[in-house]
Amino acid sequence: MKKPVPYAAIAIALIGASYFVVPLLATFYFSLKMTRGELGFAAYASVFRSADFAATIVYSTIASLAAIAIGTLVIVPTAYWVRLKVPRLRPLMEFISLLPLIVPPVVLVFGYIRMFGSSSVLPLTASTFGTDILLVLGYVVLSMPYMYRAIDNGLSVIDIATLTEAAESLGASRFRTIVLVIFPNVRAAIISGAFLTFSISLGEFVLASLLNRPAFGPYLVQLGQDRAYEPAALAIMSFAFTWGCMALMQLFAIRKPGQRWFSRSTPRTATGSSA
Amino acid sequence: MSFLTISNAGKVFGATTVVKGFDLSVQKGEFVSFLGPSGCGKTTVLRMIAGFERPTTGSIRIDGRDITDLAANKRRIGMVFQAYALFPNLNVAGNIAFGLRIAGQAASEIDARVDDMLRMIGLAHLGKRYPYELSGGQQQRVALARALAPRPQVLLLDEPLSALDAKIRVSLREEIRAIQRQLGITTVFVTHDQEEAMSISDRIVVMNGGRAEQIGTPFEIYNRPATRFVAGFVGTMNILRARLDRGQPQTITVAGQKLRLAAPPVTQDAQGNLSLALRPEALSLTRAEGHDSTFTGQVQSVNFMGSVVRIRMQVNDELISFDMFNSPNMVPPVIGQTALAHFASRDLFELAA
Amino acid sequence: MTLDVSAKPADLPLRPRRSPIAAGWTWLGVVPFLAFTFLFLIGPVLYLMVGAFQNAEGGFTLDNIIALGSPDIVASFSLSIRLSLVSALMGTIAGLVLAHAVILGGLSPWVRSAFATFSGVASNFAGVPLAFAFIATLGRLGLVTVLLRDLFGINLYSSGFNLFSFYGLSLVYLYFQLPLMFLIIAPALDGLRKEWREAAESLGASRRQYWQMVGLPVLSPTILGCFLLLFANAFGTLATVYALMGSGFDVVPVVLFQQIRGNVLYNPNLGYALALGMVVIMGVSNTLYLILRNRAERWQK
Repeated sequence: MKKPVPYAAIAIALIGASYFVVPLLATFYFSLKMTRGELGFAAYASVFRSADFAATIVYSTIASLAAIAIGTLVIVPTAYWVRLKVPRLRPLMEFISLLPLIVPPVVLVFGYIRMFGSSSVLPLTASTFGTDILLVLGYVVLSMPYMYRAIDNGLSVIDIATLTEAAESLGASRFRTIVLVIFPNVRAAIISGAFLTFSISLGEFVLASLLNRPAFGPYLVQLGQDRAYEPAALAIMSFAFTWGCMALMQLFAIRKPGQRWFSRSTPRTATGSSA
Repeated sequence: MSFLTISNAGKVFGATTVVKGFDLSVQKGEFVSFLGPSGCGKTTVLRMIAGFERPTTGSIRIDGRDITDLAANKRRIGMVFQAYALFPNLNVAGNIAFGLRIAGQAASEIDARVDDMLRMIGLAHLGKRYPYELSGGQQQRVALARALAPRPQVLLLDEPLSALDAKIRVSLREEIRAIQRQLGITTVFVTHDQEEAMSISDRIVVMNGGRAEQIGTPFEIYNRPATRFVAGFVGTMNILRARLDRGQPQTITVAGQKLRLAAPPVTQDAQGNLSLALRPEALSLTRAEGHDSTFTGQVQSVNFMGSVVRIRMQVNDELISFDMFNSPNMVPPVIGQTALAHFASRDLFELAA
Repeated sequence: MTLDVSAKPADLPLRPRRSPIAAGWTWLGVVPFLAFTFLFLIGPVLYLMVGAFQNAEGGFTLDNIIALGSPDIVASFSLSIRLSLVSALMGTIAGLVLAHAVILGGLSPWVRSAFATFSGVASNFAGVPLAFAFIATLGRLGLVTVLLRDLFGINLYSSGFNLFSFYGLSLVYLYFQLPLMFLIIAPALDGLRKEWREAAESLGASRRQYWQMVGLPVLSPTILGCFLLLFANAFGTLATVYALMGSGFDVVPVVLFQQIRGNVLYNPNLGYALALGMVVIMGVSNTLYLILRNRAERWQK
């Protein structure tokens, strides 16, 4: 007896797929229509030629990378320490790491502006560089739930207690243990979290706009008000970028510590010589 | 008069034949076990009776009625699953009452019946608990009560004890059998554990590769295995290669020794080779009444297993196992020593291939 | 070599014993993290919370909370809550229907993988680019609008549809709400064990009775929890709204945004109250979500 054709399920799946795909197709088509009467990549060319585009992309990229670096430096030792020494604090740490999810970015940046304003103890907003720092730290906070989760997951698959004891028995200090043993083994998890952070931070609007920094997000909004076709081109590029980040994030998430990129061309023997 | 009749049932999944030519008649109130290794098709036959798989060939009748094409929810069959499958959103009473609610019974009747069932399984005060608050054994008991509450015609159990630990398995299987006897319900029990099957079944169906190899009482299956597979699967069995002496209808050479059989063999091939089986408990280090044959060999290993000591002995090219009851006063044999194992030649029986 | 049997086991420690003070040092390890989060997350938020109850001179007052009751602000919150409820409802129902069709509907496994992968990306594709994409699709000159007009003679905008409206915005929100619901409900649908369905069948239940008495009740904590998550998700969204509607659509985040920007009469303490309101609403709905998620996990054991 053959299974009956699931017409209803197919219909639903098709409707769902078209809801997702049609806007992308429409945007792509729209982005090709800049040159009147023909389809071409003029909109994309215009975007790439724009000095503002280059400047804001560079700014946002640097800010994102800084956020990734600072986030890693703060979270990795902490997650390691908590797992190793004070496991009872783990629920508290997880709770704190999830707090950014209930604080909307607009509230967070408002708090920054008031707390670190010109008349406060730590007047970060008084200087450009200070504001840049604040922006980066804001990105660290926004990405914290994902970074902490990614790194904690990465730590859970390696037996850090035994690795630490092994390192100590071989004479390493706690600091060197972290740098030489722990970091390399959670590298994949860090990179995985990094891609997600990158994807969030690059096009971020609220923090950048309210802190008045020349980031990519505000540039996009401004462009949307001024131009017609370039925003569509940017939307497509942004989607492709997000897709790429997610794919790479997944790739690194399933990587085992020490897994090589490519298999060695010649097998190594225990003595280090190639057989 | 057969209550549950399975005729020439077969099941094919894609290119694989999982069950072929399965015939069985189960009497009303009988407890039958399907016994066999993983993949032998026993669960598939059970699911065909339940209605979750449709037989590719053959038919199934219950109480005279052909149910082969009947939907699963109309068969009035109770099923107990290996993974308990209690509904997590309902408490114990809610789970047991489920079939009764579906049948549309009055609330007062349902409550009374649920109380009866709870008492029957010995969990009278746990009606309000939820499945996640119960142990594995308790959950399985509730699953049993749930299946029996709507008074099904047939009870099916799919390896219900495999997920429990050893002690609970033993006590729970006795409980299941006692309840089954009390209710007189026709039951089919699937298991891969031969001790389990033998201890509680009226009859056992030993299955292998989709076929029923032998159907019989536990005594028959154990003492008169029909095939080599059954002999090896149920209990330990010494399987010996023997060769009939030319010209002598009843003398064989086995394990390098000559032996006279109690009766002329019938299963030998053209060269006079045949397979003989001998249960370990048929051998003994001391000659008892009726023992007319002896194997002489070297003791290879002595395994103390509690109430039984299992000894393995090398007799020329065969390794023979035999068991001795443990006795605090006995001196177990030493590895390497020469020993004599006595047995009665009529305890040797032939095996079909 | 003789074994020293005189030494009792307690005299031979396996590790050097830590002094009581050492136990205190282990707390130092988490200080950087706690300091960071306090300074840059908890601190600023608390600052606002406290500030909501202060007046310009720093004294205690409930004026700001009362000012939340002014018609404009109430209208704002009402709009935000309505939009979030509608968006969450749309996302929950659509996500459940899609997930059920794709996972339990009898389709090939690759369909599910495709939707899962896409959902992973789409749930992060909120904000400005999403608004652009929908403008290019359903805006006045959008592709679908034009196609409907030229191919089918349907004039979308004259028949009442407007992308730049409450329901148009909900449609845009759906693009990241639906995937989020799909991703969360998919494992829950997987968790519906086949044996429950079979046990129900063996006890006489029809398909509808199974869903009514077992399937949906088991899923309900997850569904409800996800609804709350979608609600909070929608409530906090700013970039998408702003990029689509400009400054005209007064949801609470936009109002706060304008306050901070200084585009309206600048009253910082009112801003604090707005922030307080937002945090309370989002905190409550996320907490309820976590409670429901724990309840669902407990049942799956």
